[in-house]
Amino acid sequence: MVIISLKNISFFYRVLNKKHNSLKVLFKDFLKGKISIENYLALDSINFEVKKGQVLAIIGRNGAGKSTLLKILARVMSPSNGELSINGQIAPMIELGAGFNTELTGKENILFYASLLGRDLKDVRMRVEMIAEWAGLKDKLDYQLRTYSTGMVARLAFAVATDQMPDILLIDEVLSVGDEDFAIKSRARMTEMIESECTVIIVSHNLDMVVEMADEVIWLEKGRVLMHGNPAEVITAYKSAGL
Amino acid sequence: MEYMFAKKINFYKITGLNRNHIQLLLLLIQQSLTVRYKRSVIGIGWTLLNPMLTSFILWIVFSFLFAGKLQSGQQFAPYLMAGVLLNSLFQLGLLQSANSISGNKNILTKVAVPPRIFAFAAALAAFINFIIGLIPLAIVVYISGQNIEWTFPIVFLTGLLLALFVSGIGLFLSIIFIRFEDTVNVVNALLLMLAALTPIFYPVDILSKPVKFLVNLNPLTSFLDIFRWSFSDNAAVTFADFCYIIIISFTSFILGNFFFKKRWSKTIAML
Repeated sequence: MVIISLKNISFFYRVLNKKHNSLKVLFKDFLKGKISIENYLALDSINFEVKKGQVLAIIGRNGAGKSTLLKILARVMSPSNGELSINGQIAPMIELGAGFNTELTGKENILFYASLLGRDLKDVRMRVEMIAEWAGLKDKLDYQLRTYSTGMVARLAFAVATDQMPDILLIDEVLSVGDEDFAIKSRARMTEMIESECTVIIVSHNLDMVVEMADEVIWLEKGRVLMHGNPAEVITAYKSAGL
Repeated sequence: MEYMFAKKINFYKITGLNRNHIQLLLLLIQQSLTVRYKRSVIGIGWTLLNPMLTSFILWIVFSFLFAGKLQSGQQFAPYLMAGVLLNSLFQLGLLQSANSISGNKNILTKVAVPPRIFAFAAALAAFINFIIGLIPLAIVVYISGQNIEWTFPIVFLTGLLLALFVSGIGLFLSIIFIRFEDTVNVVNALLLMLAALTPIFYPVDILSKPVKFLVNLNPLTSFLDIFRWSFSDNAAVTFADFCYIIIISFTSFILGNFFFKKRWSKTIAML
């Protein structure tokens, strides 16, 4: 069953030939006729399909368009051209803890973050304790987030984000969070999710890990799919391309 | 029944929200009401105290000038305080909803949330602030020897319409603010001008004819007249006032949403 399909997906940023932060400068240049709009192509007709349960890895150098592609898959941005169809609930693990408010308590933040991710609050309310316990923060639930350490915040975010098994998981680099004990725990949960029914799209620079986990690999270069195939082949080609 | 259903779908279509987003909207409103005062001792009591203090200061300054100029039966203290309350709903709601999109760019560039929800939450939080402010206003009305009129439920509708009006303009401005940073200053100057053209602390009757014309053109004047009239009969209203605020609120809301929807996909790339 095809769960994600991209047909001719392109994305371009419209940029003025110069950066205009202010209306005044823009107006001045407009009068002088110095303005033109250029399209910067970040993704150029991308085509691929992902089947249910598959693990797809996206590799490529910096600026190849990986993050833009991930944002389009997360439905944060919509493509300029092309057809995108996604069947299922997506959990983007792009940057954890976006939306955490330091003035709110741990519990309030769990609820808020979960509802940002589109979960049903009734469910989450019942699971708050469990989430906190898994993160090892049960006794701190009623403290404001500003009293937490950076590691604790990361643990809490990870615990909320991975609390429910989504249909599709988008991962920007596999994260290991917190101290050693928790890093092991979080990696185990990630592996569990990746090995389950859930469809995974993962962006990574860690080629060894990609070979180990992915079923298919896409090599992105300057906004185009340069190669799409089984991990060993693509990565050998990627490595021999140098740099 | 069927009519109601059709109306609901339209609302979701205009705003880009769905039923699941309502819980997020409520959380956001609750957050903006509580977080602001989280570190203060009296907490949300500030919401009660703030309009009272502002009104008190304005009252000291202007009561000598204007108290006698109101029409008979009208009282200056509730007249003034109603002006302060409504103006702060407008100003706070507008600025907060206009800044809500860029202020939450951390979330918007990482999680798929309908962006407009932040602007609606800001406008609704300002509305709830306004409703809380009615409590001290009621006290002031009693102290001045007036009664709360039986028409006072209209105040809630007026406030809601103003929140609708504000969120429409706020959505429009939020895009403009992201594209051109210096428009913030232009808008601040315009808001100051608009506040001067709103009869917050002066009676309309003291104005010269051309200024009076401008003040009557200002939609906030109609909102304010209806508010003052329905709460404690401190202003005169006409049927035209009602038509004006209804039409302008819905127009602003629909156009703001439409503009935002059209420009958003290009604007998010700039965040």
